[in-house]
Amino acid sequence: MIAEISSRADKAAQWLSDRWQARPRFGIILGTGSGLLADEIQTDAAFDYGEIPGFPVSTALGHKGRLVCGNLAGQPVVAMQGRFHLYEGYDVDLATLPVHVMHRIGVKTLFISNAAGGVSPRFGCGEIMLIRSFVDFMYRSTPSLAGKVSNSRPISRSDSALDASLIELALEIGRSEGMALQQGTYASLLGPNYETRAEYRFLRRIGADVVGMSTVPEIAVAAALGMRVLGLSIVTNVAKPDVLESTSGEEVIDSAKIAAPNLKRLVEKMIETISRLR
Amino acid sequence: MLDLFDRISESTSAIRERWNETPKAGIILGTGLGPLVERIEVDVAIDYGEIPFFLKSTALSHRGRLVCGKLNGLPVIVMEGRHHMYEGYPLKDITLPVRVMKSMGADLLVVSNACGGMNPLYKCGDIMLIDDHINLLGDNPLIGINDDRLGPRFPDMSQPYTFDLIDRALKIAREKDIVAHRGVFVAVAGPNLETRAEYRFLRTIGADVVGMSTVPEVIVAVHCGMRVVGFSVITDMCFPDALEPADPHKIVAIANAAEPKLTELVMGVLKGEQ
Repeated sequence: MIAEISSRADKAAQWLSDRWQARPRFGIILGTGSGLLADEIQTDAAFDYGEIPGFPVSTALGHKGRLVCGNLAGQPVVAMQGRFHLYEGYDVDLATLPVHVMHRIGVKTLFISNAAGGVSPRFGCGEIMLIRSFVDFMYRSTPSLAGKVSNSRPISRSDSALDASLIELALEIGRSEGMALQQGTYASLLGPNYETRAEYRFLRRIGADVVGMSTVPEIAVAAALGMRVLGLSIVTNVAKPDVLESTSGEEVIDSAKIAAPNLKRLVEKMIETISRLR
Repeated sequence: MLDLFDRISESTSAIRERWNETPKAGIILGTGLGPLVERIEVDVAIDYGEIPFFLKSTALSHRGRLVCGKLNGLPVIVMEGRHHMYEGYPLKDITLPVRVMKSMGADLLVVSNACGGMNPLYKCGDIMLIDDHINLLGDNPLIGINDDRLGPRFPDMSQPYTFDLIDRALKIAREKDIVAHRGVFVAVAGPNLETRAEYRFLRTIGADVVGMSTVPEVIVAVHCGMRVVGFSVITDMCFPDALEPADPHKIVAIANAAEPKLTELVMGVLKGEQ
């Protein structure tokens, strides 16, 4: 299985390199409803997941399912428009295969965005939260990482996977751009149903600020491969367990659209700054 | 990948061949609650083994048959014995009967279980109306490609248990002098019972009772648009600071003793459906 994931990633990376010669240092995973950032990329090529050898096919609402290769802020980037979720039935290795592929074609810094339900009452719809830490309630292991972490580097706390200097940079940009950014803890659940009121109360009590159904596997894999990772959650609906309201997929996409311009500006500025610093 | 739909149709037709009524409600009977079946005017009882894709039951005090008939004149379809995640079955298989009930025409699911009480105001043998649940099973029956014919990709869970039905049951409980609470059920995979530390954890996160079933069936019922009412019979008290070793046979005995009260409430709730 591990060898299979590795060879699938090799195959996909080779296929991509044959079609797009740039070596992107930046990768972006675009979550639900944040396609605006992808539109901003000056596209050299875009590939449907279905045509990339080894790639699974995406089924989630609001996801196009293609890999966009091009330039953003003058730098070559590769962006996943649509991602693979565990609730679609993929195991962690398959769901994170694109992260392995990005690593192989040169990505050093990965921006992972998602749409997440606000658990913290401090948050508002359409705000962006920088992921400081996470709580993993997905109950799934990542066979492709077995042995990797302990042999090649000292065992670390899993949230050190999130690069603190990227968070600081994001906060600086937020201040200079007049953009309100939140920081907090992302709780990952399997889904696909939205949370019950009791589950929101539980998550709030254990310290989660937002809850979602993705991102944590991608963070873990990217960090194990040595990438710098920034996790960005768009707060799409603030759960108020004491006020009964229902949640729909369309609603989530609508509020994600409010955050899209800020997300786009933030990622652009970060890429610009990181490239200048190098 | 979308073969679930066909499996539901096949199971449904197998049942239809033997029973051609439209059930108003589907009922799932948990540990020790089987005697409710005796109140049913049985038209036909079908062993799970005779229904395509139904699992056989292996758990303690669970029979494995689908009873079709009338409860107080109301057509119902009853699972006598259910399946649990700890038996090693995939949640999709465990919850198939709920989809079959819906496909037969039932738009109401009545679930019952035996559970451990953690709320100190509860007593052994009390009944709790499930107001809400926490899923700590580490799994979900809806994982996989969604078949939009069966329900939405992302079902809302703001009210998985229908408030009107909870209120109806509580009203009947008051009239009949039955002790009934309203609280939060947390589902864990099991099969071991919880440690003292786990009970403290579950209580801290807001659960009143803990069990190893029900949540998968309810998630699927919500997915396919059914109304749900859930009854938990508290069969042992789980106070971490005064914990006694659990005795499965005692649990079954307490469930059996509570069964007439549960039957009363279920019959009352269903009466309101007529």
